[in-house]
Amino acid sequence: MQSKVWTLLSPRLLSARNSLRPDARHRNRARLVLFGLIGLVFWAGAFAIFYRVLRYFQNVEDFGDILAMKLLSMMVITFFTLLLFSSIINSLSHMYLSRDLSLLHSLPVGVRDAFLSRWLGSTFDSSWMVVAFSLPVFLSYGLVYQAGPAFYPIALCAIVCLCLLASAASSLLVLLGAAILPAGKIRTLFVILGVGLALLLVLVLRLIRPEQLVNPDSFASVVLYLNSMQALDWPLLPTTWITDTVRLALKKEWGPSLFNLALSASCFFSLMFITQTAAGILYFRGFSRAQTTAKRLFTPVKFHGYSWETLLNFLSRPAKAFAVKEIRSFFRDSTQWPQLFLICALIIVYLYNFSVLPLDKSPMKTIYLQNVFSFLNVGLAAFVLSAIAARFVFPAVSMEGEAFWIIQSAPVSMKTFLWIKFFLYYIPLLILSELLIIASNFLLGVTPFMMFLSTVTIFFLVPAIVGLAVGLGARYPNFKSENPALSATSFGGVLFMLLSFGLIALVIMLEAGPVYRIFMSRMHGHVFSLPQILWFVLSFCLALFLCVFAVFYPMTLGEKNLLKR
Amino acid sequence: MIKLINLTKDFKTTLAVNRLNLEVAAGEIYGFIGPNGAGKTTTIRMMGGIIEPTDGKILIGGIDVSRDPVGAKKIIGFVPDRPFLYEKLTGMEFMKFIADLYRVDPGVFSRRAVELLDQFALRQWKDEIIEAYSHGMKQRLIIAAALLHDPRVMVIDEPMVGLDPEAVRMVRDILKALASQNVTVFVSTHTLSLAEDLCDRIGVIHKGTLLAQGTVAELNLAAKTGEARLEEVFLTLVREA
Repeated sequence: MQSKVWTLLSPRLLSARNSLRPDARHRNRARLVLFGLIGLVFWAGAFAIFYRVLRYFQNVEDFGDILAMKLLSMMVITFFTLLLFSSIINSLSHMYLSRDLSLLHSLPVGVRDAFLSRWLGSTFDSSWMVVAFSLPVFLSYGLVYQAGPAFYPIALCAIVCLCLLASAASSLLVLLGAAILPAGKIRTLFVILGVGLALLLVLVLRLIRPEQLVNPDSFASVVLYLNSMQALDWPLLPTTWITDTVRLALKKEWGPSLFNLALSASCFFSLMFITQTAAGILYFRGFSRAQTTAKRLFTPVKFHGYSWETLLNFLSRPAKAFAVKEIRSFFRDSTQWPQLFLICALIIVYLYNFSVLPLDKSPMKTIYLQNVFSFLNVGLAAFVLSAIAARFVFPAVSMEGEAFWIIQSAPVSMKTFLWIKFFLYYIPLLILSELLIIASNFLLGVTPFMMFLSTVTIFFLVPAIVGLAVGLGARYPNFKSENPALSATSFGGVLFMLLSFGLIALVIMLEAGPVYRIFMSRMHGHVFSLPQILWFVLSFCLALFLCVFAVFYPMTLGEKNLLKR
Repeated sequence: MIKLINLTKDFKTTLAVNRLNLEVAAGEIYGFIGPNGAGKTTTIRMMGGIIEPTDGKILIGGIDVSRDPVGAKKIIGFVPDRPFLYEKLTGMEFMKFIADLYRVDPGVFSRRAVELLDQFALRQWKDEIIEAYSHGMKQRLIIAAALLHDPRVMVIDEPMVGLDPEAVRMVRDILKALASQNVTVFVSTHTLSLAEDLCDRIGVIHKGTLLAQGTVAELNLAAKTGEARLEEVFLTLVREA
């Protein structure tokens, strides 16, 4: 059995090895360097933050250790939740939707072997990032608490156990879901997952109530707060065993620590036994049912004979054709939906947080704070927009997939094609961003000047971010990807995020100085000197130039690349 | 109607098409045959404006594809070798999408789309999402969509792959009918019997170079194979190249 599973995994392992061959390596070098550097920065950043926080906790009398252990417990719970969702998405994709599944099921291997090979691939994909970024957390705990050398392997085993547990539980859920849901509705799991995730996010953020942390009165009730967290340390939860494994290893209580680790491992093996048994019965049946064409969740609605497409009649025919195709393809692909629900939830949380900021309790002047927040809000909204653009706009060209030949052979120039894509995303994102900015500014109660400045800044930042995303998406397309949405994490996607963040930071920095001066002069009634006025004009012009450049230059680069293909 | 002048495509690692020269007249069916990797698909993709030639010229209806790609594409009906489509659209929605891109008159579209879907036996599937279609149905849908704007030139790569015998006959009859209406058909195929039966002239390409072209009789002369079938002629030409 083991050798068959190994053989089934070999194409993946060999592909990974082949990507390191000298002929492929030079193409990947830039990507490896970029990803390596970004990974290193995140890793070092996570380590530095945790190290500082834990050092700070150590200096807090009486509560320091409790806080550090609560933080550990929260980290483990967060990792476990992330792993559960990531595993569900990966299991669905690896076990039911991958293109190579027909080949796998045509091979003379047992269902359990086929399942196990898929499960291993899915577990690796859903877990490696959590393992990689949990290491600086455990390293900082080890260093701050001067743990013994055995702490590190035990902590590593604990996090691996956590990943295996999450993956086994998720696979079992997916197996049952695929067996229970009606054929053709299996992809609906994505929708259920999306709604669940969005609700959970809103719920968790409401329960934690982070705004209370800036309320000095709340510190009096810290003991009550900590007590309320006891529910998360329920002794029958695997997260409690993992937390205890690490916590006890930190205190060099090796016996109880290893006992908890063994408890986690035995739980995983039991769960895996159940999952494997269930797979033997359900996996092939579920896979066969998943082959049925997905049923549409919604039937087209017409109002007095007019459909929603009529609303797009103001567009030119090719532009309307693209818009209709894009909207239909998006809403008929339920794998796209979880992120959409998640974004909606994030926007609700984003706006809600502005409504509950206790600015009046701050020692600083409220009007000053309101306007500082409003200015920061522009940057924050632009960062949110960048993340949305990375997920939805950057893959827009790659989403054409293997059907890109239709565009290439159609009587529409590549330039027109790219600009249609640009406007398709620019208009909804502009509306979304302006609504976000205006709504949050209303909640903050800012001055008319700040309202004007932030809406104008966003008005110019949105096309810049969308142009950058469409242009770089065309410069680094992947028409052969099984899931083009994942191109957000590709070299081009990461480059887009870096450039987009850089652009936002530059624009904000260019505006910050003049805005501060203008704001202070209004508060104190100062008059501007000529050099100051020149500085303001130059700064705003430079910010405008950067935005215009970010629209046109990447679009030209993208067009040139698509024409060369 | 089609003129290829010194057409070359160099992929750096492979010289896919090497100084190819050929002409196809209006209403002619030209078959393009060759072994795997001979440069057929590359030539067809250059003709369809999908990839740029490294050198040389392509004239379609007198329009230089490099200079006015949009103008040339307006009169071409392009059918690729693999039926990749927008899987989440229905057959009819895909036809509408193509009609909008080619600016087919809306009044003409509704009549023509139904006519073509009928002709390609897809009418009962028109409101089904394309991902539910079989390979052959997708291939038929692509051909139907390519005919929507009444092209003057059809450029088709492997039209019969995945089609059932009835559909093969149907496509063959449609191509013949198109030629009789003065539409030029440039078709690449591995099915030699089809090329023999369908094409007015045939070009044999190998390693990017055109070995010979003409009617089957003319190819027999070039290969010195007497009155052999196209298969024998083809194998001789390729073997001796």
